[in-house]
Amino acid sequence: MNSSAPNEAIRRVLGRVARQEFVGRAAELQRVVAQSSDEYAGRGLLLLMEPAAGVSELLRQAYDEIFHQRSHVVPIYFAFTRNETTAVSAAIEFLNSFLQQYIAYKRNDPQLCHLALTLQDLLELAPPADFDWIQQLVESYDRQRFSNDDRALVRFCLGAPQRVPEKSGRAFVMLDGAQLADQLNGSVILGTEILRVFDRAKVAYVLAGLRRQILQAAYNARLNFETLDLLRLEQLSNAEARLLIDRLASRQRVAVSEEAKDLLAQQFGCSAFFITTFLQAAREKNNSLVSYLDCERLYVDELLGGRIQNHFADLLEEIAPTTDLRLAVVRLLWESIAGDQRVASFEACRRRLHVKGEEMEEILQQLHIQEFVNWDGSLVEFADGPQAWKDYLKTRYRLIVMNEPRALVVADALTDSLKRAPHTMARHYKQVQPYDLRDVLLRFNCQSVPAVLFNYAEFSKRWKGAGLEETIVGVGAETDLFSLPQVVHVASAASFNSELRQVCEERRCMAAHAFEGSVYSDAREIVWLAAEVESKQEVAPDLVELWCDRLDRLAITGGFRRHQIWLISNEGFNQEASALLVRRGALASSQQQVDLLLDRIGASSVPEIQPLEGTNEFLVVIPMGEDNELLAANTVEQIARRLSFRPEAINQIKTAIVEACINASEHSFSPDRKIYQRFRVENDRLVITISSRGVVPTNIGGNVGQSENHETADLGDERRGWGLKLIRSLMDEVEFERVDEGTRLRMTKYLRNSST
Amino acid sequence: METNTTIRSHCVGTTAVVYASDYLNKLTGERIERECRRQLDSGCRALVIDFSDTELVNSIGVSILLGIIDVAERNGAEVVFSDVNNQTRALFDMLGLTRLVAVAKDENEALTSLSLTPPPPAVN
Repeated sequence: MNSSAPNEAIRRVLGRVARQEFVGRAAELQRVVAQSSDEYAGRGLLLLMEPAAGVSELLRQAYDEIFHQRSHVVPIYFAFTRNETTAVSAAIEFLNSFLQQYIAYKRNDPQLCHLALTLQDLLELAPPADFDWIQQLVESYDRQRFSNDDRALVRFCLGAPQRVPEKSGRAFVMLDGAQLADQLNGSVILGTEILRVFDRAKVAYVLAGLRRQILQAAYNARLNFETLDLLRLEQLSNAEARLLIDRLASRQRVAVSEEAKDLLAQQFGCSAFFITTFLQAAREKNNSLVSYLDCERLYVDELLGGRIQNHFADLLEEIAPTTDLRLAVVRLLWESIAGDQRVASFEACRRRLHVKGEEMEEILQQLHIQEFVNWDGSLVEFADGPQAWKDYLKTRYRLIVMNEPRALVVADALTDSLKRAPHTMARHYKQVQPYDLRDVLLRFNCQSVPAVLFNYAEFSKRWKGAGLEETIVGVGAETDLFSLPQVVHVASAASFNSELRQVCEERRCMAAHAFEGSVYSDAREIVWLAAEVESKQEVAPDLVELWCDRLDRLAITGGFRRHQIWLISNEGFNQEASALLVRRGALASSQQQVDLLLDRIGASSVPEIQPLEGTNEFLVVIPMGEDNELLAANTVEQIARRLSFRPEAINQIKTAIVEACINASEHSFSPDRKIYQRFRVENDRLVITISSRGVVPTNIGGNVGQSENHETADLGDERRGWGLKLIRSLMDEVEFERVDEGTRLRMTKYLRNSST
Repeated sequence: METNTTIRSHCVGTTAVVYASDYLNKLTGERIERECRRQLDSGCRALVIDFSDTELVNSIGVSILLGIIDVAERNGAEVVFSDVNNQTRALFDMLGLTRLVAVAKDENEALTSLSLTPPPPAVN
């Protein structure tokens, strides 16, 4: 088989985008193409897709790649669509597509794939070497379709690829079941039938679709899983999602800002389907996506009357065909999610929908496949689903169940989305932090590490203020070692007690089930309860007490026989807090200690850093970090000297800019870790603008930001809140400009004040 | 401007003179704090923090100085700042540091002022 280099330009046949424009899924594409090779002959590949993850373009790209290899393998791609009302019509459409693509491949004429051709047309186009078997196939089909045996006809059509004579090559069929409707009218369950036919034919094939649906079809068809390969297709990574937005925006000529890219990636859960749909809508409506408001306005339009609405409406119509039933389903789903009644019995659900048992089973089955509920046959757990689904349900509920005015629902949807946007981004940026607590705990595997890494008081006494190298050498020479347990399971503490969601983010408080010394006995079982305590300075005793009490309570309610509390704070713990930690038997570490711990037990995950894009503005951009504010101070000094500011004024400006940079670094969970400074020299003044991307600062700009966790502000020492006070005192004018991500600080110093 | 990696200090009797570097920030502040703690642990009864090299101070550096003053107070030791330039002095005034410590013109004046101060009562 010839192989194409991945970057080689491939002429498009079925692909909707050029190969170089296809984002992510490189490994998956390679795997699908590999399935067509002789190595995998006779094996099936099930592509198990998370809902809305997108699979169709992946298969079309694979088709194009195999098409251009020009080997004995003939690629066939067929997508089941919701337009097909019966299994028979879908199977007939498959037969037609198979012959059309076979002939297009044999004639090396991609255009043939796109023409509307009848079987008779195809027979006329058949190459001489293939004419006989294709004629036989068409004649057999004509006989079969009047036999009144639907199942036999479906099997005949789906089995057509087996009829390719060996000397003519081998068909490799890729079935796109992303929109495969299981319960089509008629007696044949299509997904199961497809798998039966292809499994028996012993031909290589790919069947892609919703993971729960495809797996269930495989079980129903009683397939031998030893002859099947599985490939899971989850959502894109954040970087891939951003790149997809970038590429789509460029193709569709939609202006999109960096902030909007981040927001859309997060709001749509990095779903290729939703992102593509949304950008198409932006192009059609000629909308730019520069601010959060642009994004949310279009989102609400789409949610209430556009493509997102159509997508979910189609799904609901399949699940609940009648209007009354749909209304009842919307009511059941939304009231369960909103009311936090997440679990209900089958019978309770059936009574609420006023349907018979069999019909209820079908509804739940469909909801389960779409992952809107988890149904194990008895209990029904209502899942959140994607944000867009929750928003859709809520708006539908208010419109069709509560009969609220549409204008009110639209206005609320828009304001809610706008209010949610900064929090969505805050959560995301906080995740892009140097380490992930779950990841740290999962690395615990009986390693021996310096005990001082869990004892902040001792660590601080010996190495606070010391250089990094000195600290590393010192810690490395430690002989007092602490044996980590083997962690076997980590989950957010909120999974054990949902009240914890109110006081901290899930990812910042974990419960890790572990065994000491890898001995799996009751006596050696221990649960580590680890929490990251938010504080900009050394944590005080009251906060330690609060967290120890919380975690002790969690241990009691969770029924943990033995537990170990481990508190982590960026800046460590003050003396009194350290003494309290000892009394409570808790371990304590600063960020630096955790970094050193990670050095010993495995590298930490590296934060994702986005490149800075070109700009036409006069900007000085510095990376956030130790002492880099001095670069800004030196720059402003040069500029201020040219303006003949007096030395005292220059020093005031330098101090103000240093404080502004520190604020930007300390208060924002910045995705790019950069501080943008703009200097504007005017006749009588110097205007300096400092901005950074990230979470809204909580303590600058008055009511600009909303703290997610008020504990720190309430309990913390106020000494570290001086930055803003200084800036206001040192500069003549200080303004905060609210932007989508954080604040922009504009400071002005007048020359006349400086010289008087 | 560069930040030094070590902190200069010396003792005059039971008084330690610790020299702040050109930029007083978190890192250099913690180094001064560490050195001061070390001197107090070694038996020093007074601290002179000299700012003759200091050109720029930030608020985190100031907060660490406050921490040093707290620690010294708990140890019954007096603290004097010396050779503070006008801009830094204005900053210390603004943030209230000069209400907590004496500020001397230079190191000699600081040492002299401490020698005139009666020794603090012994701490139990």
